[in-house]
Amino acid sequence: MWDRREPERLEQRIRIEPDGAITALSGKIEFGQGIRTAFAQIVADELDVPIERVSVVLGDTDQVPFDFGTFGSHSVAQEAPLLRKAAAFARHELIERASAKLGLPREKLDTAEGAVVGGGRRLQYAELRGSEPLAGTIPETVDVMPENRRRYAGRPVPRVEARDIVTGRARFVADVRLPGMARGAMVRPPARGAKLRSLDDTAARAMPGVVAVVRQGDVVGVVAEREDQARAAAAAVEAEWHAIPVEGPTALVPMRSDAEVDARLRGAPLRLAQTYVLPPIASAPIGPSAAVADVRGDRATMYVGTQRPFGVRDQVAKTVGLPEKRVRVLPQITSGTYGRNSSADAAIEAAILSKGSGRPVLLQWTREEEFTWSPSRPEAVLEIAAGLGADGRIVAWRYDEHTNVHTAAGLDPQVLVVTSGRNAIPAYAGFPARVTLHIEPTRLRTANFRSLAAAENVFAIESFMDELAAASEQEPLAFRLRHIKDDRFRRVVERVAELCAWHDRPEGRRGRGIACTIYHDTYVAQVAEVDVSLSGAVRLVRVWCVVDPGQTVNPEGVRNQIEGGIQQSASWTLKEELLHRDGRVMNTGWDTYPIATFRDAPESIEVFVEGDQSAPPTGVGEPGAVPTAAAIANAVYAASGARLRSVPLTRERVRKAMAG
Amino acid sequence: MKLALTVNGERREVDVPPNASLLSVLRDDLDLTGTRYGCGRGQCGACYVIADSRAVASCLLTADQAARMQITTVEGLAKNGLHPVQQAFVDLDAMQCGYCTSGMIISAAALLGRDPKPDETSIRDALAGNLCRCGVYGRAIRAIQRASSS
Repeated sequence: MWDRREPERLEQRIRIEPDGAITALSGKIEFGQGIRTAFAQIVADELDVPIERVSVVLGDTDQVPFDFGTFGSHSVAQEAPLLRKAAAFARHELIERASAKLGLPREKLDTAEGAVVGGGRRLQYAELRGSEPLAGTIPETVDVMPENRRRYAGRPVPRVEARDIVTGRARFVADVRLPGMARGAMVRPPARGAKLRSLDDTAARAMPGVVAVVRQGDVVGVVAEREDQARAAAAAVEAEWHAIPVEGPTALVPMRSDAEVDARLRGAPLRLAQTYVLPPIASAPIGPSAAVADVRGDRATMYVGTQRPFGVRDQVAKTVGLPEKRVRVLPQITSGTYGRNSSADAAIEAAILSKGSGRPVLLQWTREEEFTWSPSRPEAVLEIAAGLGADGRIVAWRYDEHTNVHTAAGLDPQVLVVTSGRNAIPAYAGFPARVTLHIEPTRLRTANFRSLAAAENVFAIESFMDELAAASEQEPLAFRLRHIKDDRFRRVVERVAELCAWHDRPEGRRGRGIACTIYHDTYVAQVAEVDVSLSGAVRLVRVWCVVDPGQTVNPEGVRNQIEGGIQQSASWTLKEELLHRDGRVMNTGWDTYPIATFRDAPESIEVFVEGDQSAPPTGVGEPGAVPTAAAIANAVYAASGARLRSVPLTRERVRKAMAG
Repeated sequence: MKLALTVNGERREVDVPPNASLLSVLRDDLDLTGTRYGCGRGQCGACYVIADSRAVASCLLTADQAARMQITTVEGLAKNGLHPVQQAFVDLDAMQCGYCTSGMIISAAALLGRDPKPDETSIRDALAGNLCRCGVYGRAIRAIQRASSS
């Protein structure tokens, strides 16, 4: 559903600038996953230039081709071949021009270091471009650089933004400064969906620095010269609200309905049923949402952090009453948000404040606002039942996933299956299964989150696989391998076992657990080693991970993403739970929503990137985070005998489970 | 109120409301936006600066208090080429989104200033106040170890 198939135009993809510099254009967005670097690598290779000559424009809606959004770890997978083809076509066109200019056949010409060379001549790209930019429809097939001439793709390359980040020069959204820019602060209702009954802004308007108190519908905010002035005035606005409970939708989606599941379950010599529970959790970016809006009479310019710039353009256009073409969205470097930036809240609010005050406005949410008003990962209750045959193989599988919506994209069953139902169908083969997705209502605002529901489903499935193995006295690794048919899947599982020396069991209060999955065609297997104290405290000691993401553009970037996914998932698993009442989030800061710190980081996370180079590239932003919870829970069981079916694995829960 | 601050070795005069935080003055009056807002409560480390050789949360310090100190921001560490910690973070790709990176680098630079050869536990302790959501803790520890041995 996120693929595009219309023919592409060169001028929307690759520009040779008058000075010979290369600009590559993509609607995808960088938020720490390293795509700017990966795209620069690909384009530098095809155009035969040093990578420093390539700049990558991401998401500027006035410049880049339409893009649905940056989701599902598919940015590199989807864009890499398109950009490669566009850059190869640009090279083709440059050679064509040189051929005409020099009167030499194409076969006598080649490229080197940003120039076309041949017949003893050397024509720089700048010269070939002249005053005529390259343009045209990119043909279906274009000859690309042979592998042996690619200098960058497949090799580790330092992130192109790295120097700006370490020196503080990188400008995140909240670092944008425009002439005449004022600051915004919102007046928040007691709960989402509340309607404004009355408003008294007399006192607020008289406060120092206040430019305007702005109201549009049920959105109220203050614009002032300085941020602290805007916040003080927002607190002085007297608003009365009429609270209306908002409930999420309900749906029932059969995802798989093989025959004979019930009969086989009834007839199985060994049956096991368990329920796993995961709480809602927060995206919890370190940088809260921010946006800068500059809304003038006939146009608007938006500086935002977003995963879908064209979506923000549409929403802002509607909000301020301008045609889409009069709205330009300029995505900025943004704090990692792990799915949360698919919502345009801050952008819409900033646009309303700018329109209402006639000034460019920077709106920076507070930490408390970020926890309270952001969408969260839904909770999940996963019920699994399976039967084993006399030979110890699974003969039937029944799975009921109860969760809330993961996206605002509606209730189309096809959408629900790939969002809330992601990875609900086990990656194992050889038995009939019935998998049912139950979308249940919630007052909590839930939405896209890293890996959608895969982390929850794989926690349940991979914990249960361990439980099935234990119940039938089988070794957990061998039990998994008995149910794997896919060669690439088998390979990552066997490799991780080999690399960690799986059969050497750690001593003392330590244990190891394994978990694996196939996430959107990325194969990933992990082993976690934990130490469980007598009081039930779990310390993650080490993690090994083997990942097969197909062809790999930047292996170092892949490693970094996978490591980060594991570290973040370990934090979800060991520490995190969002508390809410009547749709309002009760955690307001890092003291009430602790996440893993430097002290909690494991001694090592060893990631082995072993991509099948004959397979197309797949995503790596999400899969690392998917198996970690089960690997940890399985390791806790191996270390202490305590089987934890509820996340997070707090000390109290582990202690109770050890006692029982 | 009028204040004179010493930031990155330079005297900077500002006219700001009483009780303005050092963080807001750095970001909004001195255009030193490398120091980031994260929580406003000293709980995340994104806004750390070095104040008289210690890493402190600039959101909890008033500009008035800071006027009596030597303040170094992440921009100031790179005055004569990259600081060894900055170089090591680049070399080891010890960042993802980069939002928390300024604060980490400040904590690490302050640590190496008082203990040029810290062990791993000292590094973890010194950076325990720097939260990172992307999960680059392991890489950051290795980068600081590399900087300390250079």
